[in-house]
Amino acid sequence: MGNVLILAEHRQGAVRDITFEMLAAASGVARDLGGEVVVLLPGSGLDDLAAQIAAYGVKVLVVDDPLLANFNAEKYQLVLGAAIDAYKPSLVMVGHTAQGVDLAPALAVEKDLPFVADVIGLAVEGGVLKATRQLYSGKVNAQVAFKPAETCLVTVREAAFEALEPPGGGAVEKIECPLKEDIAYRQFVEYIEAEVGDVDITQSEILVAVGRGLREEKNMPLVEELAAVIKADLCGSRAAVDAGWLPHDRQVGTSGKTVKPKLYLAVGISGAFQHVAGMKGAKAVVAINKDPDAPIFNVAHYAIVDDLLKVVPKLTEKLKELKG
Amino acid sequence: MRGMMMSENQTFTEKFDLLGCIQCGRCTGGCPVTARSNLNIRRFVYDAYHEEALEELARLAEIWDCTACHTCAVRCPKGLKPLEVLIGLRTMVIESGKTQPTVRDALESVFREGNPWEKARATRCDWMEGLEVKIAQPDTAVENLFFVCCTIAYDPRVQVIAKNLVRLLNAAGVDYGFIDDGESCCGSEVYTLGEDGLFEMIVEDNTEFLNEFQAARIVTLSPHCFTTYNRHYPDLNKPVIHYTQLLAELLDQGRLTWEGGLEKKIVFHDPCYLGKQGGIYDEPRRVLQEIKGAKLLEFGRARERSLCCEGGGGKMWVETESKKERLAETRIKDAKALGAEIVAVACPFCLLTLEDAVKSLGFEEEMRVAEIMELLGELGGGN
Repeated sequence: MGNVLILAEHRQGAVRDITFEMLAAASGVARDLGGEVVVLLPGSGLDDLAAQIAAYGVKVLVVDDPLLANFNAEKYQLVLGAAIDAYKPSLVMVGHTAQGVDLAPALAVEKDLPFVADVIGLAVEGGVLKATRQLYSGKVNAQVAFKPAETCLVTVREAAFEALEPPGGGAVEKIECPLKEDIAYRQFVEYIEAEVGDVDITQSEILVAVGRGLREEKNMPLVEELAAVIKADLCGSRAAVDAGWLPHDRQVGTSGKTVKPKLYLAVGISGAFQHVAGMKGAKAVVAINKDPDAPIFNVAHYAIVDDLLKVVPKLTEKLKELKG
Repeated sequence: MRGMMMSENQTFTEKFDLLGCIQCGRCTGGCPVTARSNLNIRRFVYDAYHEEALEELARLAEIWDCTACHTCAVRCPKGLKPLEVLIGLRTMVIESGKTQPTVRDALESVFREGNPWEKARATRCDWMEGLEVKIAQPDTAVENLFFVCCTIAYDPRVQVIAKNLVRLLNAAGVDYGFIDDGESCCGSEVYTLGEDGLFEMIVEDNTEFLNEFQAARIVTLSPHCFTTYNRHYPDLNKPVIHYTQLLAELLDQGRLTWEGGLEKKIVFHDPCYLGKQGGIYDEPRRVLQEIKGAKLLEFGRARERSLCCEGGGGKMWVETESKKERLAETRIKDAKALGAEIVAVACPFCLLTLEDAVKSLGFEEEMRVAEIMELLGELGGGN
């Protein structure tokens, strides 16, 4: 048949980028295999998501059921397995994501599908499907072929393919949910948003540091915008972390992290000894504080003595201009 | 990992007298840290009895939550020091080399530069600039030999303690001498962080160094040095007192007077290292009572029940991950409820932690934290 079936991935009401990346990877394969791209979208309340994916000129099979409201590998495996039985695609694509790696191996075993994980390239050579994956921590690319089978399975690495512009013109088709009752032994409990903790500030080249001088959490967007413009990571004093404006792993000082960025922009930080001890390795220090006697100015190379609520927006604006 | 125990031919159980524990739970019941940590000190004393469980216990994060405030030791009906079990476990971590980088750097700095703040030894006396400070010479007899403390010597925020004390001593005609940059860390935090070997070395070096001075006594500015010298330096050849004891003495002799006053409500926060560990409760109050116009208040939790500020026990280099309210913030809220305008302290760590709490609670307009010497310096017109 030559069709490619993609399992769409979405979370918290938004389609994940991996879905669009898989669409980009699939179009060439489907063309060369003489089939079409079909997307399976399980979930609940999916009209917007379905339209968004259909805009890529593909058929979207929507399985809309409250039982599928949150990702559950067991349930999604059942839905995807039923779709494979019904549509007999030549290739099934799943994201190599937390969700994908949870269900793809089990599905491969259940359906006895040849399975290649963490794929970064796909090609059809002489009518045979081949996948590229990396070995030795990315030092070697290996091209592998699948053992002959009606359907093959891959998980696709995130950001390995570039999403294309949607050409429009797809279709949405609702199909019945094969799942009739809930699975008791594996339940969705709650969705926990990860802390902004994946940044290692000890490795950051540019840091915008926040102190109590910011006064209120509602002023955080000011420094966040400034940091975004100069591609800086955010960190802060113990007081700012205590106030809950930043997670613990962004704390600079003797009881936090020692940082050594090229540029340290201290916003509303008085410069307590214990804080300064953690940032004295910074190559250039710019401090904004309304108190001219703040000890931070003893270590700052550039000093701005004024209210940060006035200075920071102007600075952001000027930097935006400079960056064009 | 067992080096510490074997070297003294003592088991962990013997070293910390674990069998003396009757598991009454007064330690955990009084431990202030339980308000924000899972630390259960009674449980540690119980579990540490099983030698094979020690390595696992040493991996628990809460062993670093202890502030070494000594509440557990003060409350123990058997006279044990439960907190030292935690220090023993920290020692196991230190000896295995798996220390937090912040702790490692502080300890290395003590070894190299004689202070935990990663500051050059040569700059230890920079705070003296512009002041007439008498420097003690080993061969010249002096009544009071002053020991400044690393934090007071280097942290610009608390240097005021030493500076104002020098002015006061000069004005009162006290026979004194400060140590030059040969002064080294007393090892208080080295001990509580569990660096056994380094602490032993510090004790030997400091004992030899301080014993050479012909002084009647040593006067420390920080309660941490005060307690460490009194508890852990058996071969020191002179007594060690805290500066508030000296001030109380001078007051009794009528040698201290101030013209100015301070019309404020002041509450004194007993530092753990001065009160619970040093037994000094009255002298700081005696000094504060002399401030004209000041109204002295008392915390509900005062003296041996004083709430720890969480500055000790090496906590300046180890953060507790708990999101619960810092004890310093609880303390400052208590002070506010009392109507205090000034929280007076007699310890550099209490000053830093409580002042931070005033800031993070946004109480700067209503109250301040001040070291006793800071307040005395503001009275003006000293004798």
